[in-house]
Amino acid sequence: MKLKSTTLRTFTTLHTWVGVVAGFALFVAFYAGAITVFHHELQAWQSPHAADRPQHSLADAQLLLDETLARHPAARKHVGMLFPGEESPHAVIYWQDEKGTWLFATQDDLQGSEKPPQAALSELINALHYSVGIPVAGTYLMGIVSLLYGVALFSGLVIHLPKLTQDLFALRPGRNLKRFWQDAHNVIGVLSLPMHLMFAVTGALLCLMLVVMLALNPLIYRSGLMAALPAVMDTAPIRSPAGESTHRGTLSMWHARSIEVALAQGQVSFEPAYLKLANAGDRNAVVEVTGQSPGALGPLGAVALDAGTGAVLATQLPGGRDANHAAIASTFALHFGEYGNAWVKALYFLMGLGGAFLFYSGNLLWVESRRKRRQVEQGRAPLNLARATVGACIGLCVAVSVAFVATQLLEMTAGSREINVASGISWACFGSWALCMLWAALRPPVRAARELLWTAAVTTLLVPIAHGAATGWWLWRSAAAGHWNLFWIDAGAIAMAFGFAALARATARRARLGEPNSVWSL
Amino acid sequence: MWARGLAGIFPGFLLSAGLVGILSWLWPGPWQATVVVGLVAFFLVWMCVIGSSFFFANGRRAWAWISGAALLLLGGLWLMQWLHWIE
Repeated sequence: MKLKSTTLRTFTTLHTWVGVVAGFALFVAFYAGAITVFHHELQAWQSPHAADRPQHSLADAQLLLDETLARHPAARKHVGMLFPGEESPHAVIYWQDEKGTWLFATQDDLQGSEKPPQAALSELINALHYSVGIPVAGTYLMGIVSLLYGVALFSGLVIHLPKLTQDLFALRPGRNLKRFWQDAHNVIGVLSLPMHLMFAVTGALLCLMLVVMLALNPLIYRSGLMAALPAVMDTAPIRSPAGESTHRGTLSMWHARSIEVALAQGQVSFEPAYLKLANAGDRNAVVEVTGQSPGALGPLGAVALDAGTGAVLATQLPGGRDANHAAIASTFALHFGEYGNAWVKALYFLMGLGGAFLFYSGNLLWVESRRKRRQVEQGRAPLNLARATVGACIGLCVAVSVAFVATQLLEMTAGSREINVASGISWACFGSWALCMLWAALRPPVRAARELLWTAAVTTLLVPIAHGAATGWWLWRSAAAGHWNLFWIDAGAIAMAFGFAALARATARRARLGEPNSVWSL
Repeated sequence: MWARGLAGIFPGFLLSAGLVGILSWLWPGPWQATVVVGLVAFFLVWMCVIGSSFFFANGRRAWAWISGAALLLLGGLWLMQWLHWIE
C-alpha cells in the first residue's frame, strides 16, 4: 500500500495530537485499570480482619437476607445479593430505596449504607479507572477518550501499514534515540493492537452505551429499543406480583437448584456468584442466579427460577444462550479479564502496565522529536509537555501508592476513633497527586522525574510495610497461612517499587551521560 | 483537520448508525435478537468512520460525502421499515 505524502502527513498529525490529548487520561485508565483487575483482592486487603474471620456460609447469608427483607420494604420489590465465596468471603446484599439510591448491607451493618463495605480503596481505584475520579462527567470524558483512543489506533495503523511487515521486528538501538523509541513504540503498538482495539471498543461501550442507545433508538430502532431491553439484558422474565404471599424459598434451595439445572444443561460446573430476587415472598417471585462456568469466553451464565417452587423459568448458559447474552457476557469478560484463571488476571495486570507505558513513551517521543539538538535552550512546548507528563503520570503512581498506605493507617485508626475512611483515602490520593503536579511544574523536568520516581519507589515500598504494621499480616505470614490474595498485593507492590527505583536510576543516568541539549539532561 | 474530524464525528455518527441499522434489520430474525452485537459493532464502525474521514482531501468533501452516504443509508432503512420490507 502506498500513501500520498499529504495523507501520510495528515494522519501523522492526527495520531500525534489525538495521542497527546487522550494519552494522559489513558495512562490513568491503564495504570488504575491494571490494579482494578484485583478489585476483590483489594477489598480483602483493606479489611483489617478479613483474613481472621471465617468465610460466611449460606446459612449466614440467609440470616442477612431474612433480616433485610424484614427491615426494608423496598428490598422486597427487588434485591441483589453476593453469595459468600472465594471472591467475596462475606455476604453482601443491595437494593434501591424508594428514592432509587443503592444501599448495601452486611451482617455488621444491617441498616444499610450507600457505600459498599470496606471497599473504599477498590472503589477509588475503580473510579480513577473509569472516570479519572471525576463524578458523573468523568465517565463521559472517559467515553470520549476511548473514542479518541480508537481514532489514534486507526491513524497509527494507517501510518505504519506501508512499512508494517519489514519493520515489525526492527528495534534499532544506537545514536538515533528517536528511531529507537519509534521502533519500540511501533512494535509494542502492533503486537498489542488486538488488545488495544478491544479496550477502545469496550471502553467506549461501557461509558457511552446509555447516551448512544438514546440517540440510536429513534434513528434505527423505531423507538422500540427500551421495550426490547429487559429481554436483551436479563435472563428472568418479568412477572408482575400476584398479590398473594407464599413460601419465599431459601438461598440453599436456589443455590442447589441452579447448579442442578446448569449441569443438566451440559455445563461441566457452575458456581453461583450472585442472585437477583424480584417480589420476594409473592407467589410470582422470580430469582435469577448468575454463576461461573469455566472454559467459556463469557463464563457468567444465569438460571432464572420460580423463587417459591424452584421451577426453571429461563436459562442463559454458555453454549446455549442467544446472541445478545453471549455478546454481553464475552464483552464484559474480555474487558475485565474474567474468562480464565489467575494467570489471565496476572496477564491483564502486565498488559495494563504495558499499555500505560505505551502512552508514556508516546509523550516521550513527542518531546524527543521536537528537541533542538544544537542549542541548550529548548522550546517551551516540549518543556511543558515534559513537565505535564512527569507530574500527571509519575504523580499518579505516587498518588495510588499513597492511597494504599493511607487506607491501612485510616482503617487502623477507625478501630478506635470515628473517622470517615473513604474520604480520607480520597484526600490522600488527590492531594498527593496535586502536590506531585505542582512539584513537576516548579522543578526542571529531569529533576522532577527523578525525584518523583524515587518518591513512587518509597511510597510503593511502604504499601506492604503499612499493611503488615497495621494488621499484623506481613507478607510471609500471609504466604504461610495461604492468603495468596493478600500476599500477591504486597509482593506486587515490592516488585513495582523496584521497578520505579530502576526507572529513577535510568533517568539519572540519562541526565548525566545522555546527549546534552535536551529537557532530560542537566 | 478540524472540519474533516467533525465530519467524521457528526455525520459520521449518522452514517455508522445507518450501516449498523441496515445490517441488523436485514439480518435474518428479528432485530431485537442482535441488539448488543449491533451496539458493540457501532462503536468500532464509528471509530473507523472518524479515522477514515481524514482520507478526504478537505473538509467540504468529507462533509458532503459522509452526509450523503448517511442520508442514503438512513433513508433506505426508514423506507424499508415504512414499507414493512424488514421487521
